[in-house]
Amino acid sequence: MLEQPYLLIVCSSLAIGLAAGFVMHRADFCVTACFRDIFLFRDFFLMRQMLLLVVVSMVLFEAGRLSGAISLYPFPLLGPPSLGNLIGGFVFGIGMVLAGGCVCGSLFKLGAGSAASLLAVIGMLAGSALYAEIHPQWSAFAKSVQLTQRAITLPEWFGLAPTTLLLPLATAGGFWLYREFRGGRMERPAFARGHLAPWRAALILALLGFASYVLVGMPMGITTTYAKLGASIEILFAPEHVSSLTYFSLQPLNYMPPFAAQSIRGGPGPQLDAIAAIQYPLLLGIVGGALVSALHVGEWRLQWRLPRRQFISALAGGLLLGLAARLAPSCNVWHLWGGVPILALQSLLFLAGLLPGTWIGARLLTRFVVR
Amino acid sequence: MTQTINIDIRGQLCPSCLLLTLKALNQNGAAIRAGSTEIIVVTDDRQATATIPATADRMGFRAEVVRLEDGCYRIRIFGGA
Repeated sequence: MLEQPYLLIVCSSLAIGLAAGFVMHRADFCVTACFRDIFLFRDFFLMRQMLLLVVVSMVLFEAGRLSGAISLYPFPLLGPPSLGNLIGGFVFGIGMVLAGGCVCGSLFKLGAGSAASLLAVIGMLAGSALYAEIHPQWSAFAKSVQLTQRAITLPEWFGLAPTTLLLPLATAGGFWLYREFRGGRMERPAFARGHLAPWRAALILALLGFASYVLVGMPMGITTTYAKLGASIEILFAPEHVSSLTYFSLQPLNYMPPFAAQSIRGGPGPQLDAIAAIQYPLLLGIVGGALVSALHVGEWRLQWRLPRRQFISALAGGLLLGLAARLAPSCNVWHLWGGVPILALQSLLFLAGLLPGTWIGARLLTRFVVR
Repeated sequence: MTQTINIDIRGQLCPSCLLLTLKALNQNGAAIRAGSTEIIVVTDDRQATATIPATADRMGFRAEVVRLEDGCYRIRIFGGA
């Protein structure tokens, strides 16, 4: 496994994951909270940080494309837009609020010792494996509600050069952010030990996403691994059933990584392939980075005092997240930190579904879970 | 004598900390403002050490955060002059 071109991919992903996990823990950079707190508390503080991350990534990715540092454009695994992306985003929004964290957020919280996040991750594995059962029907449906076949990004759809759309957007975003910084709205008092201001975290995460795009060939993404890990567990109990499922035999990733001489392939099945090389190290890195950070500030501890309603909510939310991450396909981090900055149509649809989903999730949470 | 309401939210799902604190603030707002009641929150959620004081501040209360020896945080919300 550890031969060219895998060595660079495995090492970069691990390093990026470790740094991302550390930073997310220090800054409490929770994507779920960014969206949820808008609806729950009318609090836009974290959303401003998210917009900073998106605008900076937009500039970095486009500069990378123009300078030739980024060769794969749009990046692999993105496809033509479908209403399925919207539905996936909607279910994802509900799931992440109930689980108390998204796919990446639950990983960094798990690294810091949260039992609730462990439950959410178990739910995600189950949800991802469950998707394999309905994949044939879902992919047929998603195809039937495809919006266009010829475009992956918005500029492509309009027949424009990416810069034509991205430059005005990034400029407007930059001016707006400048005003928010000047007005003191990008920072707030924090008392946690070793706290990292979220705007600094946003800048670091944008740089890590860019590093991933340059070195691995795509921004950070981990959800296919949940299906892979789910399949690896399921195969221990029902090997014949797993091998009979079409979904686990797919190889949607087939690309020529940067600095490589040969193309590599991968999919959601249990085998060790390109997906495993990219995503397992990233996943382990995020958990490990948060673990190191929590130990370093003396705050690592395992907490099992979860009320029953929250226990169920974390598990059910995780299940919805895992399922939604396959329906969408992929997660909020992939779409928001990767797809939205290049105006990928799938990602914009995912975002459009995520907002009402988060609103419903917040309603369910305050009605049934935390009372 | 000041009455104390203790809320222990260690180990709970996000955003229980802020939700449960808000509930207590809303129920006891007048007493806290008058200075006869205060709320003590114990949490292990780093995020809550920023959101709870910010929210309390917006509602006109005062808050102070102390880090406990075991790495948890104690947030005291109070009113009065």
